Amino acid sequence: MKADADKCIACKRCFPYCPMGRIQTFKRHEKIPGRVYIEIDQERCTDCGVCLRANICPVKALYQPETPWPREVRSILSNPLIEFKGSQVPGRGTEEMKTNDVSGRFRPGEVGVGIELGRPGVGAYFRDVEIVAMELAPLGYEFAEENPITHFMTDKKTGKLREDILNEKATSAIVEGKCKLEQLPVILEAIKRAAQKVSSVFTVEVITKVPLEGEIPVKPVLEELGYWYSINTKNNMGLGEPPFKFYEE
Amino acid sequence: MTHSLHRRGTFDDLKDDFVVLGCPATGINKSGSAPKTQKFLSICYKHGPVNLGDMKTGNIYNTTMDDILSHVTDGTIVQCTFDNREKIVSLLKDLKENRPGISVIISGVSDIVQQCMEEAGLGRIHTIEYSLGTWGKTELLPEFEILQTHTMCGHAMIGADLIRKMVRDVKRGRRTIEDACLEMAKCCTCGNYNLTRGKKLIKELLAKYMVHSLY
Repeated sequence: MKADADKCIACKRCFPYCPMGRIQTFKRHEKIPGRVYIEIDQERCTDCGVCLRANICPVKALYQPETPWPREVRSILSNPLIEFKGSQVPGRGTEEMKTNDVSGRFRPGEVGVGIELGRPGVGAYFRDVEIVAMELAPLGYEFAEENPITHFMTDKKTGKLREDILNEKATSAIVEGKCKLEQLPVILEAIKRAAQKVSSVFTVEVITKVPLEGEIPVKPVLEELGYWYSINTKNNMGLGEPPFKFYEE
Repeated sequence: MTHSLHRRGTFDDLKDDFVVLGCPATGINKSGSAPKTQKFLSICYKHGPVNLGDMKTGNIYNTTMDDILSHVTDGTIVQCTFDNREKIVSLLKDLKENRPGISVIISGVSDIVQQCMEEAGLGRIHTIEYSLGTWGKTELLPEFEILQTHTMCGHAMIGADLIRKMVRDVKRGRRTIEDACLEMAKCCTCGNYNLTRGKKLIKELLAKYMVHSLY
């Protein structure tokens, strides 16, 4: 996002709308005496577009310039209105557990594990995303094919991302995939190691198919290892059609 | 993944906060899903959501229900936010009788969602997703009171500074609490921002935050 120096009157109305915080500085206009305008730090801006959509600029100075690759990746992952063609889902992730009732993506004995870097409200560079991906790759973690981050990998066996995007930043970016239930402790341990290395924050989530009866499989694992998990969850109602047959009739 | 999952708050605060999503599946029921998604939205609308939207078109606070319905295409994911469990029970009963055919997901306190499903005769949750919280450089995060509002938009479109600005505006008499919540709802394009909870949280923030000058 940029502010047109000839239009901007430095009224600061757009400042609080930026999810990345105060990333604007004041500049003196070179040609108009006394005129001050704001400059948006292009390094920290993720091109999410919220300031533009909020329609708060009284002089319409904000504009989103064409962004050539690799900067284009910022808006792909940060602007929720933009759909990543590989996943065919607007936003940063995939359908994951949302359609598990019909897709059977996560079967009994499997656990979906997602790590969303930069969330909430901090932002993350792809070099940090790579750190997480590279910790998980050697452990048999199966990256979700349709996820944007998986598309940006040059080698799925190592989790290495393409060099040209490493210094780009997104509001958040998700590493998505799954593993076997018995691998979950090792995977979580690897995520813990990655947490020590990254310069941002990330949220961690786990997905499991709920059995017809008995305990939810991941709960005893998390409790035994002492991992905190939230009381609020995302729950698939099983109303999609046609239903995926998880069990023998 | 999970833009309605990581909402932060206490049990009392989250017990009346539900996000209901309708999602078609690529390669399975996505083709020809537009009328199913419209049917799902119409059913949800009958049960009194406090917010409703589609990521690409916007929510009912920055466009109209008719506009949202008319922009639904095959593959559109829609979200409706509710502010009490009774609405969820009646919605689930309706969805059980009039299945739209696309996947339905509810984010909320899992025990309450499970109770609602049982009351609606739907049995057990099919697939569940847990948040294991925020890891890494957590010192970069805003304070918990701000995070409660901030995490209502999983895409982080309600910035921490905007929440602080809204609190200041209310304290200075520039906006009402309702106006402040509407402004934040407009930024959360998907319609995940719960205005009832938002008003409650702003009221709590008013007592906790000082402003340097009231003028």
